[in-house]
Amino acid sequence: MASRWWRWRRGCSWRPAARSPGPGSPGGAGPQGPRAAADARAQMACFHFMKHLTSAFPNVYSISRFHHTTPVACCYSKTRSGEKFTDPFKLGWRDLKGLYEDIRKELLISTTELKEMSEYYFDGKGKAFRPIIVVLMARACNIHHNNSRDVQASQRSIALIAEMIHTASLVHDDVIDDASSRRGKHTVNKIWGEKKAVLAGDLILSAASIALARIGNTTVISILTQVIEDLVRGEFLQLGSKENEDERFAHYLEKTFKKTASLIANSCKAVSVLGCPDPVVHEIAYQYGKNVGIAFQLIDDVLDFTSCSDQMGKPTSADLKLGLATGPVLFASQQFPEMNAMIMRRFSLPGDVDRARQYVLQSDGVQQTTYLAQRYCHEAIREISKLRPSPERDALIQLSEIVLTRDK
Amino acid sequence: MNLQQLLRLPRYLGALGPPRRRWWSPSLDTIASVGSWRGQSSRSPAYWNQVVSEAEKIVGYPTSFMSLRCLLSDELSNIAMQVRKLVGTQHPLLTTARELVHDSRHNLQLRGLVVLLISKAAGPSSMNASCQNYDMVSGIYSCQRSLAEITELIHTALLVHRGIVNLNELQSSDGPLKDMQFGNKIAILSGDFLLANACNGLALLQNTKVVELLASALMDLVQGAYHENSTSAKETYITDDIGISTWKEKTFLSHGALLAKSCQAAMELAKHDAEVQDMAFQYGKHMAMSHKINSDLQPFIKEKTSDSMTFNLNSAPVVLHQEFLGRDLWIKQIREAQEKGILDYAKLRETIKAGKGVTSAIDLCRYHGNKALAALESFPPSEARSALENIVFAVTRFS
Repeated sequence: MASRWWRWRRGCSWRPAARSPGPGSPGGAGPQGPRAAADARAQMACFHFMKHLTSAFPNVYSISRFHHTTPVACCYSKTRSGEKFTDPFKLGWRDLKGLYEDIRKELLISTTELKEMSEYYFDGKGKAFRPIIVVLMARACNIHHNNSRDVQASQRSIALIAEMIHTASLVHDDVIDDASSRRGKHTVNKIWGEKKAVLAGDLILSAASIALARIGNTTVISILTQVIEDLVRGEFLQLGSKENEDERFAHYLEKTFKKTASLIANSCKAVSVLGCPDPVVHEIAYQYGKNVGIAFQLIDDVLDFTSCSDQMGKPTSADLKLGLATGPVLFASQQFPEMNAMIMRRFSLPGDVDRARQYVLQSDGVQQTTYLAQRYCHEAIREISKLRPSPERDALIQLSEIVLTRDK
Repeated sequence: MNLQQLLRLPRYLGALGPPRRRWWSPSLDTIASVGSWRGQSSRSPAYWNQVVSEAEKIVGYPTSFMSLRCLLSDELSNIAMQVRKLVGTQHPLLTTARELVHDSRHNLQLRGLVVLLISKAAGPSSMNASCQNYDMVSGIYSCQRSLAEITELIHTALLVHRGIVNLNELQSSDGPLKDMQFGNKIAILSGDFLLANACNGLALLQNTKVVELLASALMDLVQGAYHENSTSAKETYITDDIGISTWKEKTFLSHGALLAKSCQAAMELAKHDAEVQDMAFQYGKHMAMSHKINSDLQPFIKEKTSDSMTFNLNSAPVVLHQEFLGRDLWIKQIREAQEKGILDYAKLRETIKAGKGVTSAIDLCRYHGNKALAALESFPPSEARSALENIVFAVTRFS
């Protein structure tokens, strides 16, 4: 995957095209309407990007044909027409009643403070984005397999476990990044200190592993263990930066997959394994989760530039402050090569963060990243559309669009 | 089946005979022998090392292979380069790293070694006749060897994670805030990396019960570490008001659970029945408790103890001392040993030594040692079983 991205970067023509507006041009710096911002220039990049996708996803034989015969806009209207206009979150939540109570039951801890710390983020105020995808995928796969209208208890457990693994990694990430707020409240490390926060993260992970083992399926254990490994490797990738500009983008996408998409992809795969014996379905579930997951993170990286901190519940420009060059920065640095030095020193000099932010907002980095996220969502939709139609399948299609348009 | 296994076979079959409980009868001799070791010589590192190195020969090759693989991976060698930045600071990660390399007390590999020994002592299961004996090396299944490595990985990961410092409690002598922050970052990542490797190894064992056992051991370990951290963080020199039974519960979590559950899991991997699994659990638990009490006792029984040597106010002899004395008298003794807010450990140590805490801690150490030996009685005699016994003798021996 990494080398393909590199090839794409070299082979595509967006670099000169993207440069044309020049510094200071107002060219679409506004945060609003990311989808409308997919202008003609992006359409051109799209053509090359699609060419790339064909090579990046070799099993997708039909994609280039799909592109040549179906304009992008058409693809959207097509999925729109199939929409049931039910809220995917409402649909998914029907199977998730008592989610947080059940998670708290898994955290069987006698010590009050330790229990309080471990339960801190399971307060019902999170988006529960991952559990929602997991149960919708479970139902979509069950219906696809034998028209079953049930969710197995083990599949629901995967939703809990996915949220627990996610939370455990958040707790550790916040210590690593020395973050002080998340979801509009103080982080565990700010309230209880680093020492205890790390143990709380380990505790949530161990509770998730116990729940995982109790499902009693060794394949499912292997699938979700991969997530734990990817999360750590993703964090390592984030620690280093590539000097080579061409490698940077591949590095960024690999990190994005490992830190965010792997959890969604593999938990989707796990529920598909539990619901249906067909490996083709497992691959569809995995690919859907992977593409939605990458799109989700790309938009997250965009929102770090376009959203205000009240909406996000965490400070914005957070990535720059941590020295991280995300999608919008990498695209912007194509237009403003003077950003490369800042990227290499990880925005460590005074004023770097503000200047980089200005460069990004002046460039079309935000639009390019949003556009890239759209491509991943289209790929996700294409994958999930292979399943037999069901309200849950359509909700997953709709969910991938919500990922693109969310503002927090 | 190799010659060694053939030689072991009759003994093994003998052990499976109906009068299994007969193995309890010689246990009295063994228990008596715990006491008889007492007079022979003082506990010396040399003796301990001898016990451990002979045990290592029995299991074929030692445990820390997977840990080594981890240490040599790209991720961790990058980290090793970074750790150099911490030299000169007081970050605990440095001490942990040093102990990983220069492990003079063999404590790091001890857990893995015990898992290997008990695997060998139990041998293959009769219920498992179809099982592939071909992947046995020195009488130990390869999955049991993986388990031993996983046990070490989990232990090391927690050791690393325990060494995180609270940034708002830093002293100026610790080093610059930025470096300490960096040390934390590295410690979290390396610990997580070791845990991820442990999870990976567990998944490869393809046994959900073993995964559950080890995951619950991790949970125990975290809770145990939490208790230790929160007690050692106390600024005042007043110890927790806990009795010895609470102490035992907490110590089981922090020191016994991992070994007990790993020993049990090793039996599960060889398809031994619930009874054998329980005996392995009991050995692991009691051996670990007796080992912990032994190290708690060291500051009180070493012939030459430097006066400045501190000791944990929540260690077994101190907790027992407090229990005999009552809370009020104990606080009074601590106050008397304090001078200008600084605790005179040498003085307090003499006070404790004059009481009954030390001798009852020795008794408690032997009690757990005997429980461990009793659990071993259900295993057929073998050099592996003798090595497990010798480990108990070594930690229950006091001059």
